[in-house]
Amino acid sequence: MNKMQVAIMKKDLRGLVFNKRLFPALLIVPLIFALVLPTILILTVHFAPEDISEMQQLLDLLPLGEQSQDIQMRVIGLMFNYIIPVFFIIIPIMSATIMAASSFVGEKEKRTLETLLYCPLSLHQIFQAKIFASFLLSMFVTFLSFILMMLAAETELLLIAGSPLLLNINWLVTLLLLSPSVSLMAIILIVRGSAKAQSAEEAQQRTIFLILPVLLLVVGQFTGILLVSAWLLLGIGIVFTLIAGLLMKSGRNKFNYETLLK
Amino acid sequence: MKAILAENLSKTYPKGKKAVEGLHLSIEPGEVFGFLGPNGAGKTTTVKLLNGILSPTTGSCRIFDIDPFQHPESAHQISGVVTEHAQMYDHLTGLQNLVFYGTVFGVNTKESELRANQLLETFGLADSANQRLATYSTGMRQRLSLARAMLHRPKILFLDEPTSGLDPESTQHVNSMIQRLAKNEGITVFLCTHQLRYAQEICSSYGLIDDGTVFATGQLGTLRSLVSSGLTVRIEADHFPSDIPHKKTGERTVEINVQDESEIPSIVRHIVEQDGSVYHVSARSLSLEEIYFSLLESHKSKKENL
Ligand SMILES: Nc1ncnc2c1ncn2[C@@H]1O[C@H](COP(=O)(O)OP(=O)(O)OP(=O)(O)O)[C@@H](O)[C@H]1O
Ligand SMILES: [Mg+2]
Repeated sequence: MNKMQVAIMKKDLRGLVFNKRLFPALLIVPLIFALVLPTILILTVHFAPEDISEMQQLLDLLPLGEQSQDIQMRVIGLMFNYIIPVFFIIIPIMSATIMAASSFVGEKEKRTLETLLYCPLSLHQIFQAKIFASFLLSMFVTFLSFILMMLAAETELLLIAGSPLLLNINWLVTLLLLSPSVSLMAIILIVRGSAKAQSAEEAQQRTIFLILPVLLLVVGQFTGILLVSAWLLLGIGIVFTLIAGLLMKSGRNKFNYETLLK
Repeated sequence: MKAILAENLSKTYPKGKKAVEGLHLSIEPGEVFGFLGPNGAGKTTTVKLLNGILSPTTGSCRIFDIDPFQHPESAHQISGVVTEHAQMYDHLTGLQNLVFYGTVFGVNTKESELRANQLLETFGLADSANQRLATYSTGMRQRLSLARAMLHRPKILFLDEPTSGLDPESTQHVNSMIQRLAKNEGITVFLCTHQLRYAQEICSSYGLIDDGTVFATGQLGTLRSLVSSGLTVRIEADHFPSDIPHKKTGERTVEINVQDESEIPSIVRHIVEQDGSVYHVSARSLSLEEIYFSLLESHKSKKENL
């Protein structure tokens, strides 16, 4: 990233903050997935002891190490270590989508794209700047969400159960490897779609078609993977990171000024 | 080294529209080149070709010896471009916009701010510097675009209708600014315009284009010599012989086109011999506008005869 690219990134991020339609949408995602849903989970477990006791058998089947804690805390720990990490794949994808979908088509519609193309940067560098801006945003939102969630959850648990929540290694792999790589892959594809689109609506439709299957796949498969082993998770994370890197390189000659301005 | 060199440059748009055909241009550094032609002639297309934004269908071009299609980054570093579709960001202020584009063109922030404020002053926008672009009028936007194109001190400016939407005062101002830049700083200017009177004031050479083909290039004198008559003679007389081709412009005034001044005495003699009284005779060279229309007309009729 050179200074010129940094200037484009700053401008894009700033534009998002000023956008009255997109910025609220950006706040809603972490709010739901990091505050509302985890809180609902904790409260459900706490106030529904009847159903929970029936889970004893299920819990015994799972390879969960020490079984000393009381059953409520075990169920909550199970959810936080094996289900909620899924949210932290969804959060970066969704928050990145909001910015990436309009990255090129937004400039096209406001007639600022041509001006940007006259600057002394190669198209590849402009793409890099656009992709990186969305990526930074999505990582920022993800980590902020994590901090918010932990503050809220720990407080709630201390108040309700009197003992803190312990996180396992899954979180480390999810936050440092899976979230970044999955969101980077999504961003690259969405930014390219945005460059091809003629209108914001078209870009949004493209994005939804791209993202929905990914999200369903994540929700459906990820919990299973989390349960199998952290090593598998690590392996998948590394593979995704490699794919994201390849994607970044592969687009080099896909676009030219003419196709962009069409 | 030429500022602009185009050889056999052509552009056919994907749907088959031939926008520019076999364009040859050779423009010296420091020139103000007026690129003139009716709507849809191919002026904007040429500007985009010369900046590498469009890929040429045939031929090639160079800007100060840089191929803009192969090396757009280097070409853009030395060019400033104003076109109708190159707008700026509505949510930023005039000053913020300029500083942004300054940085994107590799000027450091401090220098960008300094340049931006200077240029805002020059273009009469200092009072609106901290207003958001959304509140700017068409003319203010246009002037900000001109300031934007000059931020990084380009060697060559491509101005596509830079004074469209400007009031006469601002037009005058922008034109004298262009002239000054060329004269004092040696900046080359490629100027597309419909305002022929202003073009005549500021351009040092011209290219006339219609329907994708450039049909005349050169300095005003060269173009003038291409027209069959170089002078317009205005005569006021109470009688005018009908055997001399003329254009009546008033009750007693007519205009005749002649090649040069040596034809004037015989015309006057002819009137007097037919008992006419001559009250006024004056001659002036054809203006760019007259030359433009005359050349355009003969180009069109030549094309039809083909
Ligand atoms: N993107 C495009 N696709 C197809 N045809 C185009 C495109 N852009 C321009 N044209 C066509 O190419 C021709 C030249 O257009 P151009 O914009 O270069 O004209 P111009 O000389 O700039 O006209 P004006 O004085 O109206 O600005 C026109 O007939 C136009 O319809
Ligand atoms: Mg045009």
